[in-house]
Amino acid sequence: MDEKEVQSFLIIFSVIALFLALTVILLFAIFQKRKNKLIQEQQEAENRFQEELIETQIEIKEDTLRNVSWELHDNIGQLLTLAKIQLQNAKGSPEAIEEAITTIGTSLNELRSLSKLINPSTLNNLSLVEALQQEVERFNRLKYLEASLSHTGTSFFIDNKKEIIIFRMLQEFFTNTVKHSKASNLSVNVDYSNNVLQIIARDNGVGFDTSESTIKKGIGLSNIRNRARLIGADVKITSEPNEGTQFSLTYTN
Amino acid sequence: MEIQPLSIIPLVLELTAAILATIYFGKYKESTEKFFLYFLWYTFMVELLGAYLGYVADVKNFWLYNAFTITSFLFYFYWYHSILESQLFKRLVFLLSAIFLIVAAWSLVYQSWVEYHKFTFITGALSVLILTLFHFYQLLNSDEVLIVKYKLSFWISTALLLFYMGMIPLFSLSGYIEFRGLSYLVILLILNSILYGCYSIGFIWTKKKYNRF
Repeated sequence: MDEKEVQSFLIIFSVIALFLALTVILLFAIFQKRKNKLIQEQQEAENRFQEELIETQIEIKEDTLRNVSWELHDNIGQLLTLAKIQLQNAKGSPEAIEEAITTIGTSLNELRSLSKLINPSTLNNLSLVEALQQEVERFNRLKYLEASLSHTGTSFFIDNKKEIIIFRMLQEFFTNTVKHSKASNLSVNVDYSNNVLQIIARDNGVGFDTSESTIKKGIGLSNIRNRARLIGADVKITSEPNEGTQFSLTYTN
Repeated sequence: MEIQPLSIIPLVLELTAAILATIYFGKYKESTEKFFLYFLWYTFMVELLGAYLGYVADVKNFWLYNAFTITSFLFYFYWYHSILESQLFKRLVFLLSAIFLIVAAWSLVYQSWVEYHKFTFITGALSVLILTLFHFYQLLNSDEVLIVKYKLSFWISTALLLFYMGMIPLFSLSGYIEFRGLSYLVILLILNSILYGCYSIGFIWTKKKYNRF
């Protein structure tokens, strides 16, 4: 190579080397930055999910405690009061004592099922359908309203954390039904098919106007919607005044 | 001839990349990258034939390289058209292909067949550069950015970006400065090593589950 050729070689070589180095550095920097941002976003989403999960679990526990208190007062308390009255009126009549014994027996049974219900190990091992079944049984036992649960399809595995959140959304809907709707009937249908879980709960209560509810008593509903978004479920709440309310949840595994 | 050993090296690099592509074919055979297996062997065959014609039979081989330039760029356009998802990008691929075809046709008609068709090459190279940028934009705006080094398509785009980023100045500058022979070959060799090096890394690193659409 003569001197002139070496010179031009060096010029072209440096130009190309500079181009390539710049490209590589830029490419690396942009991809790395984007990657870190995405990782951070995923971390934040995971944190939000965990926080929401803890809050949900606390709410479920609070509700359970409240239900226990009601049940002690309305159900077992009433039964024991009845037994006491029966015994006071007995005054040596053996039939009345028999009646009192039956009443005490019933209240013992109620007490046992209640204690089973609030045992944490039972609570944690319940499947979604079993937990819903217990809720439905409780409504029927306490005669709040006539509730029924139907289950179709074979259930598939859903992350326990997500099941907890799904359960809580339904529990919140049930609480609204019992407290506000004056409904006499509640039907829940759980359907598992092809990786899709669909739950439809319907009451025959007073309902509400969906258009104005979003403004007034929207907190409970928006809470349900936030949670649905968190686990990637689709929730629809439809209602008409005096036509009842329907809650429908679709979750694809 | 001192040039001959150096011009064998690109052939070796191409052969290595083609063999790696064959060995790891199972990892990407369900994605559109599968065409690169055939494309790499096609490249190797063309270069082999070109080297044979040029050095052994001592025949002018520019027509072969011109044909290869046109087919290879058309292949890249086709591939980018199938992996780019946005409709706008797909339309731009058609536009770039149209411009490229016009330039190629013009060169075929008005340029001698015994010289290399520079404008065809530069138009194609610029278009491929634009398409690699589109592809990177698409990768950056999806979750795939997290696993990008396991995606074969990322390595192919990187290879093409770096190769043509170097080839364009080499081609355009060598017209102005008297620049042929050994130094030209050395730079070409370096660029070829980068191109086939990236391909090879891609074939070795890629994971099957990330090469599906």
